[in-house]
Amino acid sequence: MDLISNLGHGAAIALSPVNIALCFAGCMLGTLIGVLPGIGPIATIAILLPLTFGLDPTAALIMLAGIYYGAQYGGSTASILLNIPGESSAVVTAIDGHEMARQGRAGVALGISAIGSFIAGTIATLVIAALAGPLASVALVFGPAEYFALMLTGLAFAVLLARGSVLKAVIMILVGVLLSAVGPDLTTGQLRLTFGATWLADGIEVALLGMGLFGIAEVFRSLEHGEARKVKEAPIGNLLPGRAEMRTSINPILRGTALGSVLGILPGNGAVLAPYASYTLEKKLAADPKRFGNGAIEGVAGPESANNAGAQTSFIPLLTLGIPPNAVMALMVGAMTIHGIVPGPQIMTKMPDLFWGLIASMWMGNLMLLVINLPLVGLWVKLLQVPYRLMFVGIVIFCCIGVYSINSEPADILIMAALAIFGYGLTKFGFEPAPLTLGFVLGRMMEENLRQALMISRGNPMTFLERPIAAAFIVIAVAMLVVGVLPAIRKGRDEVFTE
Amino acid sequence: MTPTNDARPGGLRLRSPQNLVAGLILVAASAFVVWMLSGLSQGTMRTMGPAMLPRWTAVAIGIGGAVLVGLSAIQEGDALERWHLRGPLFIIAALVIFAGTIRQPGFLVAAPLAMLVAGFGSREVRPRELVIFAVVMTLACALLFRFTLNQPLPMLVIPALSLNF
Repeated sequence: MDLISNLGHGAAIALSPVNIALCFAGCMLGTLIGVLPGIGPIATIAILLPLTFGLDPTAALIMLAGIYYGAQYGGSTASILLNIPGESSAVVTAIDGHEMARQGRAGVALGISAIGSFIAGTIATLVIAALAGPLASVALVFGPAEYFALMLTGLAFAVLLARGSVLKAVIMILVGVLLSAVGPDLTTGQLRLTFGATWLADGIEVALLGMGLFGIAEVFRSLEHGEARKVKEAPIGNLLPGRAEMRTSINPILRGTALGSVLGILPGNGAVLAPYASYTLEKKLAADPKRFGNGAIEGVAGPESANNAGAQTSFIPLLTLGIPPNAVMALMVGAMTIHGIVPGPQIMTKMPDLFWGLIASMWMGNLMLLVINLPLVGLWVKLLQVPYRLMFVGIVIFCCIGVYSINSEPADILIMAALAIFGYGLTKFGFEPAPLTLGFVLGRMMEENLRQALMISRGNPMTFLERPIAAAFIVIAVAMLVVGVLPAIRKGRDEVFTE
Repeated sequence: MTPTNDARPGGLRLRSPQNLVAGLILVAASAFVVWMLSGLSQGTMRTMGPAMLPRWTAVAIGIGGAVLVGLSAIQEGDALERWHLRGPLFIIAALVIFAGTIRQPGFLVAAPLAMLVAGFGSREVRPRELVIFAVVMTLACALLFRFTLNQPLPMLVIPALSLNF
């Protein structure tokens, strides 16, 4: 079978000693930074991205995949032990996970989260391998009009999933699109919105945006509260869940994996919904829903698996269509571009080594987490005991090093500082930075595809409605926006998020 | 919720100061962007110019801002939040110092300086502890990033002493 031989081919590449070492280093460093409170996967990857610049493309992507999973796992560790989720998808884990930690079962919570993530990762890897081929061949018939319409659908979906006001989410996406326009126009090369400054002439790097809006701005927010957090003094306890705990967890893990795999494929960051959906589902299915919120192991196993499965299948839109569905994948695009790889359906046929090597290394990354990172949990706990008054200094210096390593350009650090103030301001006015990032990432691609589509149609905007696939995407996008504004649905949506 | 809003007789009541200010800022920012783009051509639908997308995006943002201003009189919303300036001020200063010193005299000076300044962003700063932390972190980062991971960080560059490594 093709699938098996392709995966075998990938495994052969991923299992070279150098690549194993890189995947391991990525996992370790990803966990190291990701475990810092308030630092989610976006900021972690942004900080560590420069480390991969010197590697060859396949090795770089394998290391990045390791960083990504490490960051995810680090985020779960911080939510379970500290109740400080680094990003919205870890919020759910914190509910029952932190409660388990308070009962002295932190080890089991961390263990089941790693085991669940591993099972989810294994299944999701197979899903990617099976779906990538068919989807990539579908993508080959897409023209610029279809791409533009698809990205519009992704943005509409992001609006639907954003928390709080729909209007504010739309504005954030537009601001992101506008920020992406800073720099040279891709066709004429004329500079736009650069204030005449040479250091803005190349536009804004997505890693800068990630570190400014999600790294430094988060430090500003955390400093408001002072030393409020407390590391759990209770013992970590057993790491491996017992037989009974495994039995209660296995079905939530499988259900979470299914939910996460499906939601992760959707353009527009469907993965962010997966842990919430899984938590709600497990609570509905449970014989005794009252246990949820009081340290129910299913409340950790399900959402963590869903989160990891979604994190993994969100590679699908990127690898098959070339469209990053969220900010993390946008950083992956940034990394690929630096190595001269254009993400899209052609990757699979033109660079099978890279494609299948990456997919195999995803599974390897998950395995690393289970067998190497889990036993190191004591180390991460020690790290979390560093008081925040010192920890944030470390975060600031990591961001400085990360930014400087991208272009060796000191002005980039100032841009990051400006973005950090901007990000702090956003939260003060009730805006969320996540939709902005997605708009930023898709902005340039949308402009290019819009320009080409209009050129092909000789300036006729009806082309988006006359081509059936494009029209279908537009209809879906409009429908989602309408749904987002309907009061009844909004209420349900808010309930899911406040759960 | 904002319990402090007093109803003015006959006038519109301000229900969401946060949205009002946010909306006004957006309108002003979008006007500024449109002005900045005034020298660039918009092109035609068939051949889009460089200003087409940013200009209309900015206009849309302006409209969004105007709607927010309008909504602030109709919908109950949040009050303006307090800005805590201590953290941002010290950290921005630290970033500026790092940017100014990283090329010359290099990381071994830039990093501890930046960390010492940033540390005062916290109200709970303890100077002696901070100094130790800054020195240890600088050495650890130098080892990790420059020597283990081969990042292009200039460590110590002093032309007068012909130092450059």
